[in-house]
Amino acid sequence: MKLTVNGEETSLAEGLTVGELLVAQAVKMPEMVSVELNGEIVRQSEFGTTNVSEGDTIEFLYFMGGGRGAD
Amino acid sequence: MKRATAAIHAGSISSDTSGATAVPVYQTVSYAYPRAEELANVFAGTAPGYIYTRIANPTTTALEIGLNQLEGGIGCIATSSGMAAIASVVMGLVKSGDEIVAAQGIFGGTVSLLENLLGRFGVTTRLVDASDVGVMAAALTDKTRVVFVETIGNPRLDVPDIQAISGLTHRANIPLVVDSTATTPILVRPGQFGADLVVHSTSKFINGHGTALGGAIIDTGNYDWSAGPFADIVERSKTARQMAFLSHLRNQIYRDLGGCPAPMNSFLMLQGVETLSVRMAWHCANARRLAQFLFDHPEVAWANYPGLETHPHHSRVVDQFGGLGGGLLTFGLGDQSRAFRFIDALRLARNSANLGDAKTLVIHPASTIFHEYDTERQQQMAVTADMIRVSVGIEDFEDIQADFERALKASK
Repeated sequence: MKLTVNGEETSLAEGLTVGELLVAQAVKMPEMVSVELNGEIVRQSEFGTTNVSEGDTIEFLYFMGGGRGAD
Repeated sequence: MKRATAAIHAGSISSDTSGATAVPVYQTVSYAYPRAEELANVFAGTAPGYIYTRIANPTTTALEIGLNQLEGGIGCIATSSGMAAIASVVMGLVKSGDEIVAAQGIFGGTVSLLENLLGRFGVTTRLVDASDVGVMAAALTDKTRVVFVETIGNPRLDVPDIQAISGLTHRANIPLVVDSTATTPILVRPGQFGADLVVHSTSKFINGHGTALGGAIIDTGNYDWSAGPFADIVERSKTARQMAFLSHLRNQIYRDLGGCPAPMNSFLMLQGVETLSVRMAWHCANARRLAQFLFDHPEVAWANYPGLETHPHHSRVVDQFGGLGGGLLTFGLGDQSRAFRFIDALRLARNSANLGDAKTLVIHPASTIFHEYDTERQQQMAVTADMIRVSVGIEDFEDIQADFERALKASK
C-alpha cells in the first residue's frame, strides 16, 4: 500500500500497525517519537492496535530537544 | 493494557541493550556524539537525540512515557517538583496583562506562585468558587488565558465538575489546567472530562513513599493549539502540530526555567508508578474507614472526606472517580490547642508537610502550610483554626484507628 510518511510517498506491506511501521521505517529512538496519523496524534498505548491504511499521511514528531518543531 | 498493567510496564529505553528489567539510571548531565554534524542535527531538530539533562534524559523519558500512558495523553514532561510543573505550564501561557481564574481551596503554594510570583509580572489571578460554574463564568474576561482547578481541592476537599467547567473553557477557547495530584490517573483521567492540561506533584501519591520530589505535565490532546490566542504556540504548531504546547515547553519555557528532575528521582518515581494502582485502592479504603470513624466519633466536631455519601460533591466523586474519594481527609476538634494536643499524642501517624506517603501523615494547616495568610484569607481557602489534615496511609487500618482513638482520648 502507498502512504505518505514525513512528506514522502512510501510503499509498504499491507496491514501494518503503527508500532510495526516504526520498526519498518527503522525510526531512531522510538520512545521519543510522537506519531501523527492523518492529523491526529496516536496514543502510545494504541501503537500496537492502530493500523495504517492506503493513502494515510503519517508524521513522526520529536518534540524533545531536537526534532521537528524545535527552535 | 489496563491501568495497573500499564503502570508496571512503563516505557523502556531503546539505547539500553543490556536487557535490564529495571530502567537504568542515566545519572549523566550530557551526551556525546562521534561526529560534529550529528550533534548539530540534534540541535537543529533534524534528528532525535539527547543533548543535556535539563532538557531531557532517558530515565526521565521512561517515566514520561509511563505517566502519559496512564493519563491517556499525547505527551508528558516530567519536572523537578509539582511547583515546577505548574510554573512551566502557566508561564508558558500567560504574559503581562493576562488573567488567570483559579479555584479557591487549591494548594497554598500554587496560590503563592500565581499571586506573588506572577503578580510581579503583571498577571492577575482571580480565585473563585469552582463548584459553581456560573461563578466561574462570571470571572472570565477577554484577558483570561488559564483556568486552573484541582480534582480534589487541598485542603478544601471540594470536587469540581470538570466536564461542566471544560464546557465553559472550551467555549471561551481558554486552556483548562487540572491538578490531579490528589487523585492520580488511577482515580481519574481529567482529559476524559475535557481537561486540556493535567499537572501533578508526583512527590505525593505517585512517588508514594516520600522519597523523591517531582512533577509532571500531560497534554491531553483536547486543546487545539493552532487555534488558540497564544501567537507563539500557533506559530510553533505549524511544524509541531498537536505537540506544539509540549514543544513550546520542552524547547523554550521548561528548558529555560530549569525545573528538570534528577535522573535518580525519575527512577524512584518509576518505582512508585509500578505500585500506584494497588496503593491508591488501599489509600482510598483506609481513608473512607477513617473518615467514617471520625465522622461518627463523639469527640470530633466535624469531618470531611469526598468519599463519604454525605459530602456535598459525592455524586461527582462517583461520576469522575468511580466512587473513590482519595487519600486525604480533614477533621476538627474545635480549636487549635486541642489539634496540637491530638497531633502530639499520635505515635504512628507522623506530623509532616507532605501527603501521599505510604505512612499516615497529619498536619495542622493553619499554623503551617497556610501560616503566611491572615485568618480572612485562610477562611477563603477553607482553612479553619481547628483543621487537621490527614493523608491516610496504607498501614493496617486497625493500627491507624487505634492510634487516632488513643490520641483523641489523650487530647481531651
